[in-house]
Amino acid sequence: MDAAERDLLGQSLRKIMTSTAAGPALDGELTDLGWPELLAELPEVAVPLVFGLLGETGTVASVLNDVILAAAGQDIGGTTTLPYAGGSWLVWDRDVEPPAEAGAESSGPTGAFAVLDPALPLRRVEAGEPLVESALAAGRRALGWWLVGSGRAMLALAREHALARAQFGRPIASFQAVRHKLAETLVALEGAEATLLLASDDFSSLLAKAAAGQAALTAAKHCQQVLAGIGYTTEHALHHHIERVLVLDGLLGSSKQLTKQIGATLRRDQVAPRYAHL
Amino acid sequence: MDVSEFRTGLRAWLEDNDLTPGPDGSLAGQVEQLGRVRRALFDAGWMRYGWPEHVGGLGGPAVLRAVLGEEIASRELAPPNFYALIEVLVPTMIDYARPELAAEMVPRLLNGDEQWCQGFSEPGSGSDLASLSTRAEQRGDTWVVNGQKVWTSLAQFAQRCVLLARTGPGHGGITAFFLDMDTPGITVRPILAMHGEEEFCEVFFDDVVIPADRLLGKVGDGWAVAGSVLPFERSTSFWHRINHLYARFDHLLAEAVDPDEGALGATYLGLHTARCRSHGTQRRLADGLPLGPETSVDKVLLGTSEQHLYDTVRELLPGAVELTDSQWRPEYLYSRAATIYGGSSEIQRNIIARRLLGLGKE
Repeated sequence: MDAAERDLLGQSLRKIMTSTAAGPALDGELTDLGWPELLAELPEVAVPLVFGLLGETGTVASVLNDVILAAAGQDIGGTTTLPYAGGSWLVWDRDVEPPAEAGAESSGPTGAFAVLDPALPLRRVEAGEPLVESALAAGRRALGWWLVGSGRAMLALAREHALARAQFGRPIASFQAVRHKLAETLVALEGAEATLLLASDDFSSLLAKAAAGQAALTAAKHCQQVLAGIGYTTEHALHHHIERVLVLDGLLGSSKQLTKQIGATLRRDQVAPRYAHL
Repeated sequence: MDVSEFRTGLRAWLEDNDLTPGPDGSLAGQVEQLGRVRRALFDAGWMRYGWPEHVGGLGGPAVLRAVLGEEIASRELAPPNFYALIEVLVPTMIDYARPELAAEMVPRLLNGDEQWCQGFSEPGSGSDLASLSTRAEQRGDTWVVNGQKVWTSLAQFAQRCVLLARTGPGHGGITAFFLDMDTPGITVRPILAMHGEEEFCEVFFDDVVIPADRLLGKVGDGWAVAGSVLPFERSTSFWHRINHLYARFDHLLAEAVDPDEGALGATYLGLHTARCRSHGTQRRLADGLPLGPETSVDKVLLGTSEQHLYDTVRELLPGAVELTDSQWRPEYLYSRAATIYGGSSEIQRNIIARRLLGLGKE
């Protein structure tokens, strides 16, 4: 697939994601667009595009299941248990309509628990089946792209606000303290994206998920500060993205937990792996 | 020659040719080691790849220089900050010096015979480089320079200098020269830096006469000359430095007393992030794409991860920086400058805000 075709696919995906209701309706549209075939044949193109755009548009689909099932060599379309930071197990339900109103509680079919982000159809279960390493890695790469996409969405909101909001007679974007927070956000997101672009094996996928989680949390922190009062209300879209990245960071291992795991691996092997060869 | 052929040949050659630094760790000793490494690599041809034939090179893509730097830095054969000076000097000569001058001079730097320095910053012009006030006045066939430079690395060892001087008002009033450091009227005063070395110098110019054929580019091209340094500083040089930091991280892994896995993991993740970003920049350079303000992201990531590494060194090797005179001490101290030199992190964030995020003027 060349760059022009990829751009075209990106446009189609963006259109679907911004015009279709999150959840089962979007799952259906993605299937119609050829998601199963793309995932089977061109995952290195399809996953960054689809998950990055889920983040940027702020919508929700249950395609993480497919990525993990496909990487485990199983049929897509179902669900699997997913490890969460701290030892919890979750199921990402399909066929659950998201709550119509902001702030409403999630209502999974059985024993729903209060997920911080009510638009994510996540349900806690007692126990789960550990994922094979390649499936875990594929899921982490997908979540990494989602986290970076959400970070970019937050940065776009904060940038827009900084240019529009005037205090002391000038846009707050003209104050260096504000500019540097947004610059730091871009640095974090660009760095994380670079690790995602070079994520190939299990360990580099773990690294990319850790970098992406950290970058998304940095974006949340800085953008919340720049958006200040309005960003703290549920009348502004920022809170959706913040809640989303807090939840997605913990899924398949939080940046904090993964970072410790990185250190443990390095201590065991006594050498720092060099990825990204010229 | 392609990258893998180059790397394989180079590695085999380095196996057979021991360039390990001797016991003299002084600044003069390091400069001598740098000359030794360059000469050996030049004579064997490795140093000449990636540079055009008309300046004594053997041709091939610039990425070969990054590979060479990586192999040198990984083996800790030469101080990476000195080794990489070539990357901010030679491209300028290729782009702006008279062809005969470039052909005559560049081989002397590549083959280890000479050191060169870069006279850009001034006491009154640091972040605001374009405000520089060292003056060059035309007198017949010559230019006469008066003024002062500072932070000029290795000026006391240098035979030549790439100098920016003012010949008129504004950005268009800056002109670049290539001058001999033994010209009468030049005084070099090394500055003892915090890490214990006299790496940076002040250079004073008192009626220093430069022949007109030593102009780099035309009168008023100086700002463009300064900007031309950026692509290779931000790609090839950074790649050297990142590989040096990886080598030092391996030492930290071996020596760490405090097994703080979170700290080790976070430090490595920072290096890995800077490396991945730099890799993308190298690829864009190799594809012939221009490098511009987006390399400010690379600069912030590199400076931040370098300081993070040495902060972790200090934490996980308690006392190594403060109580012993191991290599960690000067390196820790030197890392404090990583967010200052080459355009401070604040300047980089200003560029990112203005040019990449479109936040308008301050």
